[in-house]
Amino acid sequence: MKPARFEYAAPDSLAEAISLLEQHADDDVKILAGGQSLVPLLNMRMARPEFLIDLNRIAELQYIREEAGWLAIGAMTRKRAVEESELVRQRQPALLAATQLVGHPQIRNRGTVGGSMAHADPAAEYPALALLLGVELRVAGPGGERRIPAADFFHGYLATALEPTDVLTEVRIPVLDPGTGWSFLEVARRHGDFAMGGAGATVRLDASGKLSEVRIALFGVGAAALRLHDVERELVGEQPGEALFQDAGARASQGLEDPLSDVHASAEYRRNLARVLTVRVLEEAVGRAGGAGGREEGSR
Amino acid sequence: MSVEIPKTLEDFPNSSPRFVGRGVDRVEDPHLVTGRTEFIDNVVLPGMLHAAILRSPVAHARITGIDVSEAEKLPGVFAIVTGEDAKRWSFPPPTAPEEWGTHCMATDKVRYVGEPVAAVAAVDRYVAEDAIELIAVDYEPLEVVADPAKAMEPGSPLVIEEKGTNVMLQRVFNWGEVDEAFRDADRVFTEKFRWNRLGANPLETFGVIAQWDPVAGSLTLRASVQSATHFGLGRAAVFGLPSNKVRVIGHPHGGSFGGKGGTRGTDVTALLTRKAGGRPVKWIEDRAEYLTGGGSQSWDRHYEVSLAVKDDGRVTGLDVKLLDDMGATGECFGAINTVKPLAAFTGPYTIPVARYDLTIVATNKLPQSPYRGMGPPPHFCALEQMMDIAARDLEIDPAEMRRKNFIPKDAFPYTIASGNEYDSGDYEAVLDGALELSDYPELRERQARARAEGRCVGIGVVSAIEPGVFDWNAYAIVGVQGIGVPEGATVSIDILGKISIRVGFALEGQGQYTLATQLVADYFNVGFEDITVVPLDTFSAPPAFGPGGSRLGVALTGAVLGACEKLRAKLVRVAAGLFQMDPEQVDLVDGNLVAKGVPGVEMSMPQVVGTMLARSDLLPPDIDPRPEATYVWTAAGRTEADEEGRAKSYLTAAQAVHVVMVEVDPETGLVEILEYCVVDDCGTRLNPATVEGQTEGSIAQGIGAALLEEYVYDDQGQILTSSYMDYLLPTINEVPATKKGIVVTPSPFTPLGAKGCGEGAMHTTPAAILSAINDALVPLGARATEVPASPNRLWNLIRGAKERTAGE
Repeated sequence: MKPARFEYAAPDSLAEAISLLEQHADDDVKILAGGQSLVPLLNMRMARPEFLIDLNRIAELQYIREEAGWLAIGAMTRKRAVEESELVRQRQPALLAATQLVGHPQIRNRGTVGGSMAHADPAAEYPALALLLGVELRVAGPGGERRIPAADFFHGYLATALEPTDVLTEVRIPVLDPGTGWSFLEVARRHGDFAMGGAGATVRLDASGKLSEVRIALFGVGAAALRLHDVERELVGEQPGEALFQDAGARASQGLEDPLSDVHASAEYRRNLARVLTVRVLEEAVGRAGGAGGREEGSR
Repeated sequence: MSVEIPKTLEDFPNSSPRFVGRGVDRVEDPHLVTGRTEFIDNVVLPGMLHAAILRSPVAHARITGIDVSEAEKLPGVFAIVTGEDAKRWSFPPPTAPEEWGTHCMATDKVRYVGEPVAAVAAVDRYVAEDAIELIAVDYEPLEVVADPAKAMEPGSPLVIEEKGTNVMLQRVFNWGEVDEAFRDADRVFTEKFRWNRLGANPLETFGVIAQWDPVAGSLTLRASVQSATHFGLGRAAVFGLPSNKVRVIGHPHGGSFGGKGGTRGTDVTALLTRKAGGRPVKWIEDRAEYLTGGGSQSWDRHYEVSLAVKDDGRVTGLDVKLLDDMGATGECFGAINTVKPLAAFTGPYTIPVARYDLTIVATNKLPQSPYRGMGPPPHFCALEQMMDIAARDLEIDPAEMRRKNFIPKDAFPYTIASGNEYDSGDYEAVLDGALELSDYPELRERQARARAEGRCVGIGVVSAIEPGVFDWNAYAIVGVQGIGVPEGATVSIDILGKISIRVGFALEGQGQYTLATQLVADYFNVGFEDITVVPLDTFSAPPAFGPGGSRLGVALTGAVLGACEKLRAKLVRVAAGLFQMDPEQVDLVDGNLVAKGVPGVEMSMPQVVGTMLARSDLLPPDIDPRPEATYVWTAAGRTEADEEGRAKSYLTAAQAVHVVMVEVDPETGLVEILEYCVVDDCGTRLNPATVEGQTEGSIAQGIGAALLEEYVYDDQGQILTSSYMDYLLPTINEVPATKKGIVVTPSPFTPLGAKGCGEGAMHTTPAAILSAINDALVPLGARATEVPASPNRLWNLIRGAKERTAGE
């Protein structure tokens, strides 16, 4: 379990990293962030880049700050820093909840916010959270900087909109509007494992207690995290309640295309999780929004 | 000379012993916690090379060609070996059953994924791994057999063609009139169980440094090996060397649990050092190698169990049919896993007759290795489910079902149907302790309240036996020859009164150096700081087996106390000579040699030792002047197996009752452990803190077995769980805090009355959790009979039960 030979550079600045990417545009280059997925892949020789650019010395990519309705998080910010951030706790509790489901403290000490987004593992929490909350991803490349909405960033199994010469520099997460209820849950074999299935929801209620805005995202059940736009549309304008949630769960489950199947969970089981988790996140999110049919926080 | 080993602490020549029986701090720990323990991977020898092993990617194929020419050209490569070298310099290893072994590298065909095919020794591990990628192997695929039932069918592909069958062993043992018992039973219950392949996962994988001496024709092995002496004998057989030409230097290991076999890797490494002209070669098994090709896998079992029961709840017969999928060979003694249940076949119960219909089959999977418990844990898991099935049908509380069938405390020593003799016990006291500690009535009330809310909460109350202090005679029926299980220790005192204890095993984690230190400190009335434990290699150590089979605590106590007694007798004779008295008039008292009844006539131990070393002319003529003594302990009263495999095999029988409460989420199949309570009796606790540590770790492994751990192979013999992403070990998040209680019935057969306890809770925990799950599933009409009881499996069962109900 030793990696194959590769060249290595550890630039001190983003500009230097981009310049290295341009110089090695013809090589097979990988960017090393927290290394929680890439290093095992290197050791098992399943990833064999010719050139490795290590971003860990770039201090300018590590920050969490609030910018007019957004949390701007540097791509190299450790998940542990997110978990311990008072700003995150106050402004976007769903991010905190999702972060605490990622691995164990040792993994969160190394793993980065940008690394999880760029790796786009179908069972990872962050891509699903990005879809759920409408996250923006800031990307720097030879042609300058651009912002990509999460809906356009994730392209399926371990695939993103990032070009080989791009660096993901910042993850921009909308702060939670007061009155929005949220939930983020997963089912895993052990605490900290990649989920066999996971779901997140945000809801808003109108003055009559009906659902005015609903977002639901699933992860771990298919080749990539996904939003349930059809299910969401059916819920808007409805009075929340157990029957409605069950109905939404059934539709989430039926609508699932090609659920994953592996040694831990069959496709059928994952289809079941899509239903169960959709119901549970709706219950919890509506509960947090103060709506009817909701479930108390932490009762699951 | 006959040696009287102290039976209790009162027999020590010490009026105020301070250490034995107390949870003293371990002498091993300062090195461990400061990173100074000399694990094998820390060892660097001059000129040392590093090995990497090329392993088969397919489960069954003929090798039609191996081209190493590109690998040879890579700078830094010193030696490459293949099956040809294995044929030239080695033999298949000793196995159980006999002759079910193959060379350490594939010579004609590969038989499982992960089997060594070639290996490289190079300047470092990176270059060695680069080199094995350059070796080209031509595989001609053969039909794979990955299912043990199919492996028994006529016309099945053969794993070892020369054997003409895949059936390694098939035998039916009848202990008493079993058919009669079932005919006379009021009720008979039958169920099938599946225990999936799992195994040991120590923190440290196996590692070895091999060095061939081309002049002497001898081999030195430094290794994280569990039983150095037996390992060395095995290697001598493999390489056709005289046994005194293989020297094994054991290194401390980061856990074993049975997974420190490492024989193939060692033998491959030994071939490499020979091919490299005697340069030392290090091979450190990496985690992927360990999981797919190491000592990681055990117990791949298909059970069908029947219980004969009277209406009053008495169990009158047990019939167990076992098909065990051993994998490709018998090289790691996996088959003895299937035979150890004979040492406790009927558990803690008085079941008078029993049958064991045992079949061991070869398939294209990794050969099984030992694992903590060595075979009974799956047996008890099945037996305890049967006890619950019977209790539920008879509407008897599961705790009372056990009580009705327990061996009564006045019946010991008690010989069970399968022939072993249990030393002592008070099983009802243990049960009562567990029911009280867990507040069992309150648990049942909580369960009733939860059920009323529609929650699936269940309680398991189970009991099992831990056979302790193993003897090879237990394994005669799978062809393990009687080679003895001695444990020796040498205790010596220097001229300043400092004491060394020389032993023949390396640290494994059970705190045995602490135990030896406790015993000697109390015997000679000295402090821990006055004592050093010195592990020796196989050329210099007293005869020793080392840890294994829950034996070392008991065996080492016998060895150390025997050596202490012999040394005391020697010091007494020397002192008596100097006092010009008879030895009977002199005694060792609190660390001094004193003349009985003559106040003031005494010598300190250093004074006596000094005289022995400086003035041997003053000693009695037949006294050996070395101030030391060696004693080799073996278990007394072990017997040969009779024609039905019955023998007095394991010396002690510890017993435990676990009470567990779980909740099953019926929508996801997830299991949460709500309460865990253990009461056990392993006789005298020589170091209660160590026993508690063993219990904690063993419960964790039992939880892994019940809920998480499983090596999965597909029908082409491909392993689907080759990393810790998929082979799931319990973490601290999955292991609850436990309540623990103890009962002590000292063993009449062992020094100080201790019983083997190192394997411990693994015997009981899987059964307890599965019982609790099944209790939770009762209202849903489902029954789990397979471990690990994964969420997907439980959800399937619950859904199936719902569909049945809906269809009615």
